[in-house]
Amino acid sequence: MAAGKAGGLKRYHDLNGWLFIAPSILLISIFLVYPILRSLYLSFFSGKGMMMKFAGFGNVVRLSNDPVFLQALTNTITFFVVQVPIMIVLALLLAAVLNNDRLKFIGFFRTAIFLPCVASLVAYSVLFKSMFSVDGVVNQALLALHLTDAPIGWLTEPFWAKVLVILAITWRWTGYNMIFYLAALQNIDRSIYEAARIDGVPAWARFVYITVPMLKPVILFTTIISTIGTIQLFDEVYNLTEGRGSPANATLTLSLYIYNLTFRFMPSFGYAATISYVIVIMVALFSFLQFYAARDRS
Amino acid sequence: MDNRTILSRFAAGALAGASLLASTAAFAGEITIWCWDPNFNVAIMKEAGARYTAKHPETTFNVVDFAKADVEQKLQTALSSGTTDALPDIVLIEDYGAQKYLQSFPGAFAALSDKIDYSGFAPYKVQLMTLDGAVYGVPFDSGVTGLYYRKDYLEQAGFKPEDMQDLTWDRFIEIGKAVEEKTGKKMLGLDVNDAGFVRILMQSAGSWYFEKDGNLSIEGNAALKAALETEQKILQANLHKPAAGWTEWVSTFTSGDVATVTTGVWITGTVKAQADQAGKWGVAPIPKLNVEGTSNASNLGGSSWYVIDSSAEKDEAIDFLNEIYAKDVDFYQKILTERGAVGSLLAARTGPAYGEADAFFGGEKVWQNFSDWLAKVPSVNYGIFTNEVDTAVTAHLPDLASGADVDEVLKAIQSQAEGQIQ
Repeated sequence: MAAGKAGGLKRYHDLNGWLFIAPSILLISIFLVYPILRSLYLSFFSGKGMMMKFAGFGNVVRLSNDPVFLQALTNTITFFVVQVPIMIVLALLLAAVLNNDRLKFIGFFRTAIFLPCVASLVAYSVLFKSMFSVDGVVNQALLALHLTDAPIGWLTEPFWAKVLVILAITWRWTGYNMIFYLAALQNIDRSIYEAARIDGVPAWARFVYITVPMLKPVILFTTIISTIGTIQLFDEVYNLTEGRGSPANATLTLSLYIYNLTFRFMPSFGYAATISYVIVIMVALFSFLQFYAARDRS
Repeated sequence: MDNRTILSRFAAGALAGASLLASTAAFAGEITIWCWDPNFNVAIMKEAGARYTAKHPETTFNVVDFAKADVEQKLQTALSSGTTDALPDIVLIEDYGAQKYLQSFPGAFAALSDKIDYSGFAPYKVQLMTLDGAVYGVPFDSGVTGLYYRKDYLEQAGFKPEDMQDLTWDRFIEIGKAVEEKTGKKMLGLDVNDAGFVRILMQSAGSWYFEKDGNLSIEGNAALKAALETEQKILQANLHKPAAGWTEWVSTFTSGDVATVTTGVWITGTVKAQADQAGKWGVAPIPKLNVEGTSNASNLGGSSWYVIDSSAEKDEAIDFLNEIYAKDVDFYQKILTERGAVGSLLAARTGPAYGEADAFFGGEKVWQNFSDWLAKVPSVNYGIFTNEVDTAVTAHLPDLASGADVDEVLKAIQSQAEGQIQ
């Protein structure tokens, strides 16, 4: 049959097509569309546990008066602003180095750096917790090397707790981003580099003016993935602080706050749903900004 | 005979069979129980189950051991999703959270007012499981507090057991300085992300985060202020070994690094688990705050058993709790000597174990002491938002360490708590 103008409409009316996708539509509706709509509906209610009353925009008003929410928001944005750039630059540099075929044991290094992100989230958080405890291996090493006079309160002082969370997520996710860059680097035509080398372009300039621009789509992709991951940050802070975001709420993230509101405190599902929509809006906003910043200018 | 008749006869037959089965095999189920702490609640529940099974061989028990936070979160998730299949038959709930569950999940727990004789239990425990005139749950252990101290360390620093009686917190701090000077040991382990210490001190003065009517009481709460000031003095004098989390905190004293522990009586089992420290420990009443109406007795934690209303083994579970926890005085003697569990069944306290000397504590009659202190614990209203306000207090503990003005800290706690309580 020739694909004519009526093709689109014909396909629309073709029952077989609909039957094929019906199972997925059904599942998506039940497990994706319904929860999204239901949580939006919930965000207009407030009350204790199952005793909910319609509250209109009451939860939004509550948001603006809630110092804990504002602190969780600030923490989340801090993690995002500090950690994502560090991780992206680190992953890019590692990928550039490990793309060099003349390096010995290259397979070992690539695997070693990628390995952390295969580790279980809980296992590695617990490991970090014990390594960075007051009497932990890290403090002992720092003391032995005379880098510090007193043990650092990695889990007891607000500033160091934030540093620890950033260290932990950088350790785990850098290798993951690196793999994307490595894959993209393999696709860059070697003759470009050869031509640059013949023209006498130094190595750092080849990296800045050739590698980075060529990787732009992949960098955009990893940045957005990392943004979403960081804004939803939960496992690490939960496991490092026994679910408390301690000390002094310094590591409390929005996701952890939602969890506490739902499962630790007097359950307030409506308010928690409202905060989860804050995350949705943030992710959408940041992703849009990144697309905008990385757009092709003609 | 048409199909419909066959079907109805078949259904009637099946029904009769089922009811026959139910009547002959009454109470022949497996009771699933969720609780935490393998050395304490889990072990005690297994003992209780074994006692019941000895008399009712058809009933078996499945005691599931979780971390406390996991029990609470699993319970809250299952209750809010409405999938009752996921729930156990009996669950342990810490007293601070009792009203929260009762009020936010109405109908989830079985009301036991006419099934259990509550007059036998300590009234404050019954009070906190009562909602709208109905009583839910079976009272279990008390969290009456004591000051556990290492006699050997204090002796090295020049103090006798008599010096540890009826202290004030200021005197405690002085002693702590001497202990560190002489022995190099810290006076206490402090989980700097946990407000339990503040709660002990506050309740010893008959105060809580809430007034009796449930209104928030932070600014202007003299007992809370005195408690925070005491914690600040300890933090600033650096008398403590800092810990992050429960496990680290427990290891501060099991490792022998600190000289004292101030906490609920349920820690006894953990202290006694270190057999090599036998004879080295003593127990005294906790020090006093500098506030009017304060006492040397307080409470930390303590929990009770609740039966899930939708449970298929509901009646069996209630019968079990009634027979063991509400009547078996002998059972309470055993869990006291073996696990250090001070139950809230009043009759149990006349049993022989309470008068016995404990060799681990150098032959002191510690149980007699704890039960005397229990009678002096000031009763307070835990309300339904203790977790929320506790988080607000915890959030400001580092400010105390860095020397913030306590009035400012109270103001900040008040503001954070108000944002949470809605």
